[in-house]
Amino acid sequence: MMARALAVCRVALGALFIWAAVTKLPDMAAFAQDVANYRVIPAALVPLLAAAVVGIELLAGIALLTGVMERPASALLAVLLGSFTVLLVQALLRGIDLRCGCFGSDERASWWTVVRLVMLATAIAVARGPAPERTSVTNPA
Amino acid sequence: MSLLVRGGLLCVAGAVVGISGNAMSPRPARLGTPVHAAAESAGAACEDPRASVPRISVQEAKPLCIACSAAFVDARSAQEYAAGHITGAVHLVPGQPAGPLLPKLSAAPAVIVYDRDRDCAAADRVAVLLQSNGVRDVRVLTGAWPEWLARGGPGESGTCALCAAGGQ
Repeated sequence: MMARALAVCRVALGALFIWAAVTKLPDMAAFAQDVANYRVIPAALVPLLAAAVVGIELLAGIALLTGVMERPASALLAVLLGSFTVLLVQALLRGIDLRCGCFGSDERASWWTVVRLVMLATAIAVARGPAPERTSVTNPA
Repeated sequence: MSLLVRGGLLCVAGAVVGISGNAMSPRPARLGTPVHAAAESAGAACEDPRASVPRISVQEAKPLCIACSAAFVDARSAQEYAAGHITGAVHLVPGQPAGPLLPKLSAAPAVIVYDRDRDCAAADRVAVLLQSNGVRDVRVLTGAWPEWLARGGPGESGTCALCAAGGQ
């Protein structure tokens, strides 16, 4: 029962990250601008990083959804969410008024966005895939 | 294979997918062009001396907005427009027919077009479209929407009723 609930949770998280990537794809220039507005990433790296983030969200989301490489995908998304949280908190503490860049929307970054990111990271950690089973090799002799 | 290695592989594959997706995007991020924070580029944005469409600064445009002596055209996405735009602005994106808006825009003493980007590419395209439709005194707002916001220009939210009547 618990395993089924966690599987449903993984599928939902996978779908959420695919959605997050798909909504950014039509306007990658706007997403790159959102990333730049955090004022942490060097300007020359912003477009490349923005493109990479969207691709990682998409591929890791598909991995979670399909169950292929779900543990590395969970770990990668946890790192991504952790990085987003750090970026967001530093921006809010510095008083930078910006869009969060989430789901291709115009949503303003706020402490609620931080709470949501932490909740997502927690869900990822809880719903991560099972550890690969270790097979013990015994000496038949 | 360890979790770290597989995670790294997934990361690299994701980056490749993202760069490919960016290339196919209707509005791609220009990979070779640095992107600065809007606040750092405010004011300098859109000030291209080679631009064919005249420019107008936020300082100059704000009184025109307050006095209702200019019409404003928002060239950003419909979603961005609905979230917030210059008071009274109509919505028109590149590639969209200007026909339904032309009576209002042609009657205005001046038309100011804006978008949200550093290079004002969308605003320039819309401005050229309006000029080719006979609208006189079309200008592009330097600093774009980020500077309008930063300087406390009047704004409102919601959909464009006039545009909807035109079939948008």
